[in-house]
Amino acid sequence: MSIFEYNGSALVAMVGKNCFAIAADRRLGVQLQTIATDFQRIYKMHDRLFIGLSGLATDAQTLYQRLVFRHKLYQLREERDMKPETFANLVSAILYEKRFGPYFCQPVIAGLSDEDKPFICTMDSIGAKELAKDFVVAGTASESLYGACEAMYKPDLEPEELFETISQALLASVDRDCLSGWGGHVYLVTPTEIKERILKGRMD
Amino acid sequence: MEKNLDFNAPHSMGTTIIGVTYNGGVVLGADSRTSTGIYVANRASDKITQLTDNVYVCRSGSAADSQIVSDYVRYFLHQHTIQLGQPATVKVAANLVRLLAYNNKNMLQTGLIVGGWDKYDGGKIYGIPLGGTLIEQPFAIGGSGSSYLYGFFDQAWREGMTKDEAEQLVVKAVSLAIARDGASGGVVRTVIINSEGVTRNFYPGDKLPLWHEELEPQNSLLDIWGTPAASPEPMRE
Amino acid sequence: MTKSTIELPPKGGFSFDLCKRNEMLFKKGVQPPSFRKTGTTIVGLIFQEGVVLGADTRATEGPIVADKNCEKIHYMAPNIYCCGAGTAADTEAVTDMVSSQLKLHRYHTGRESRVVTALTLLKSHLFNYQGYVSAALVLGGVDVTGPHLHTIYPHGSTDTLPFATMGSGSLAAMSVFESKYREGLTREEGINLVCEAISSGIFNDLGSGSNVDVCVITKGNVEYLRNHVLPNPRTYTSAKGYSFPKPTEVLMTKVIKLKEKVEVIEGGDAMEE
Repeated sequence: MSIFEYNGSALVAMVGKNCFAIAADRRLGVQLQTIATDFQRIYKMHDRLFIGLSGLATDAQTLYQRLVFRHKLYQLREERDMKPETFANLVSAILYEKRFGPYFCQPVIAGLSDEDKPFICTMDSIGAKELAKDFVVAGTASESLYGACEAMYKPDLEPEELFETISQALLASVDRDCLSGWGGHVYLVTPTEIKERILKGRMD
Repeated sequence: MEKNLDFNAPHSMGTTIIGVTYNGGVVLGADSRTSTGIYVANRASDKITQLTDNVYVCRSGSAADSQIVSDYVRYFLHQHTIQLGQPATVKVAANLVRLLAYNNKNMLQTGLIVGGWDKYDGGKIYGIPLGGTLIEQPFAIGGSGSSYLYGFFDQAWREGMTKDEAEQLVVKAVSLAIARDGASGGVVRTVIINSEGVTRNFYPGDKLPLWHEELEPQNSLLDIWGTPAASPEPMRE
Repeated sequence: MTKSTIELPPKGGFSFDLCKRNEMLFKKGVQPPSFRKTGTTIVGLIFQEGVVLGADTRATEGPIVADKNCEKIHYMAPNIYCCGAGTAADTEAVTDMVSSQLKLHRYHTGRESRVVTALTLLKSHLFNYQGYVSAALVLGGVDVTGPHLHTIYPHGSTDTLPFATMGSGSLAAMSVFESKYREGLTREEGINLVCEAISSGIFNDLGSGSNVDVCVITKGNVEYLRNHVLPNPRTYTSAKGYSFPKPTEVLMTKVIKLKEKVEVIEGGDAMEE
């Protein structure tokens, strides 16, 4: 078993027209035993910047705490929020620092820039950035997510279409993964509002 | 995958390197093959590296290790030359190589031959094999190809050779080793150092003498297979 | 002196504090993670006036194509670029680190960076980590002493060559170079040969794929031709997109309105007492 499969997770982020969506499943397991079905995998750094952490949950939470700490230091020093690109570089640096003893975490970062341009990005557990224009995925369901997103995604979706696409891709993918599922959690972010939705999914 | 086609394997120079003293100076010689496993990563490498104006070193073993050792020694010798106000001797250079090779013997996989000329001792060759021993020798051979050359050198080396005799000996020896050792190949490079200065020579692979059962150099496989230049014979059942 | 109780941002260097835990996990039979690799074809050659670098654009994670159009030609200095193969995080980190060292060095000396300086900085970093930082690089540039091309291996050994290939597709690419490279190529011929070598990697090596990136460096000029050739365009998209017959069932929706951005208008009357 790979350490990334210990808790199970599915994460995806997509870009739409002046908006983005980030979605995750809700299961926390210990191998095949389900511990929680309302687990938070996506965290809000500020109103227009989100990070999802897949992989080993204990590392995800530790990493999240360090990121919050560093982000708050930045806010104090600079009196502004971090740009998504800057934040991605920060996450990458924190992960690469542990190159030879990594956090077992694959992050997905999604944010809106000051000019309302969406930004998405994923990394491996040692901070190799992958900047994509369309969608990024992570977690145990990543293989099915790659396929689902590749088929369902199209560029310049309006917010509600984007929500439908990301939700369908997520639910279709987690249904083919034993280790993730139990509904979904979607954040849809536009320049004016954040829509947070809980999705109903299979409970088996 | 083919066996040993591992690109993460360290770069090693399965090599033939030679240093020979002659009447008035030294001749250094080497082949030019650098390989990773069975892949030839560089077929024209230069394994005879300059340390100072009058001292050169032949490198064998791990490419990374031998480069770092010679880089450090070159750096130390530059400092030493400035402090001394005159060229460093071959002995000093060889001792610096020994110091690094011996102190880091657990980390390094490299055998080196230091050769050069200075006004005190004339032409000198020093061998520094794996453990970091320093041996002054009239001639030294090293690398994987050297196993094919011990007998040859016992027979062919004479004291008090002329420059040309010594160089011919080196070229002949390296080409013999290239013919038998799969890890040596490419071209032959020589460096001649004496009171006059330094001469570098280069012998392309297709101009080397042919030894037992060796084939003539070919530009194309077709030259070996089809003797007539006409179209190949049609296939029959 | 009391030790600081909060963990301040580190000043640099690697941290090994999770190594013990991770090793414990691996000993218990958990597989070590796989990292994103660029199972790659990268090449470089010297032509009449300068250097051409080339790379494919596929990044892999095991058998999965993680990125179909990634950038493998990294910036080092205005006159120096570097292709990277191996673990993606390592190539990215090592080139970024050295490029910042080069910039500081330029500020310090007030001169253009030299290719050998980049070469020495890269090789000494890689040698220090004894091959554990797995970055295989093709470094090219034009400086005051002319055009230069080098290859650097993960263990820290370097070669100086007129044409070079690296990565899993290096054999395919090298066969093209070995049969067609000659001295004194023109700019056009150089770019075409690099494209051909990369294409042979893309089509004959499974670790390489997608598009061809090219970077042409000449004295005082750099041309980065991102996606110069696109031999694998996507053929299976439907313009209509995908229609979902039944919408997803939503259990709960929470809407947070975002505050309007406050515009600070500069200028106005100066304050007076």
